[in-house]
Amino acid sequence: MVVTGGGAAPVPLSPGTRIGIFTRLFAIQASWNYELLMGIGIGFCVEPALRSLPGGPDGPRYHEALARQCRYFNAHPYLASVAVGALARTELDGVPGDRIERFRTALCGPLGSVGDRLVWAGWLPVCSLLALAVYGLGGGPLRVVATFLLAYNAGHLALRIWGLQAGWKHGMRVATALSSRVFRDGPAYLARAGALLAGIALPVALARVIGPGQGRGPLAGVLVATAVGSITLVRMHGRAEGWRIALGVLAAFVLYATVLRHG
Amino acid sequence: MPIELFRIDDRLIHGQVVVGWGQPLDVGFIVLVDDEVATSEWEQELYRLGVPPGMAVHFETVAEAADRFARYNGERQVGILLTKDIETMRRLATRVPQLRSINLGGLHYSAGRVQKLRYVFLSPGEEQVLRDLASCGVEVTAQDVPATRPVSLDALLEGRGA
Repeated sequence: MVVTGGGAAPVPLSPGTRIGIFTRLFAIQASWNYELLMGIGIGFCVEPALRSLPGGPDGPRYHEALARQCRYFNAHPYLASVAVGALARTELDGVPGDRIERFRTALCGPLGSVGDRLVWAGWLPVCSLLALAVYGLGGGPLRVVATFLLAYNAGHLALRIWGLQAGWKHGMRVATALSSRVFRDGPAYLARAGALLAGIALPVALARVIGPGQGRGPLAGVLVATAVGSITLVRMHGRAEGWRIALGVLAAFVLYATVLRHG
Repeated sequence: MPIELFRIDDRLIHGQVVVGWGQPLDVGFIVLVDDEVATSEWEQELYRLGVPPGMAVHFETVAEAADRFARYNGERQVGILLTKDIETMRRLATRVPQLRSINLGGLHYSAGRVQKLRYVFLSPGEEQVLRDLASCGVEVTAQDVPATRPVSLDALLEGRGA
């Protein structure tokens, strides 16, 4: 079957239109509701591109396309940028309406599950643990919050920018971009990084909460716990999740701290 | 092992299916029944992206799914069968007598449909098809994920499901 909507772009988007679409992405969930979920948000984001359709904003194609893009849609809010780029491209390429609707439906699943695994289950915990580690190592409130916000939003913004560009570039062939190694292997690497950070952050944060005056004991404990955690994770790869190992290490640290205090 | 879940969900493969149902049922494969998707490589490519490693997905037309049903039902792993609309499931049910229960997992708003649950909107025609299936002995319930309680067809149609 011939797939249209992914060759040379017939109508280049002006910088103003691209910026307009990108800024609207931040409000993609502003009109979220149970009937259409993110549907109106998709229509809102795609709208600046639709003004380039023959007939302009007053033409029938603009109205038809905008109505289509405002129908039910659901995806991860950051990776929805892929859908916005790809759907704008298919509309401007003149892909038949029924095919665009099927394309929209098919995009919901992968953009939801890939985004959930990459962001909610990967990037968000990693950035939280990084901020916790900064706290444990003596960082003040401002530094802890700034660490989290800067790290998290660096990934968040990069994903939105990449998504919009990849969607526009590939159109209906966007599966090519989504099957890249970043999405295939990224969640697994983030899970390992999260386990390592948990092994560092939780003991040092606890040490700071429990109190000072224990010399180099906590630091040595952290180093041992990190080493044990890393080795265990590698040895048990595929049979144990990072958070379980982190919990085990945390329990061992609490036991160690209790014995040290009361022993 | 038999196919454990016959689900109607207009999103087809997504998180609620592969994680919500997939993990507690220990699902090994999904049979996606749709005449259009079964002949569309680009759509199959997209749906495969939503399936985690270790879970297989088979794309079938209604006729193919009915012909191969015994084989899928005899697999060693647990399976889920998905359609995106009620009509496709009805056509399958007329060919597959073992299909005795249907899960409404997600039918979202479109013109002519009325809200029955947060995730189920039905047109009068779709309501009638579901009643016909129930009168033939097929158990129809609505349940988006295993953690929520199933809503019977009577409760759903009488608006007592919320």
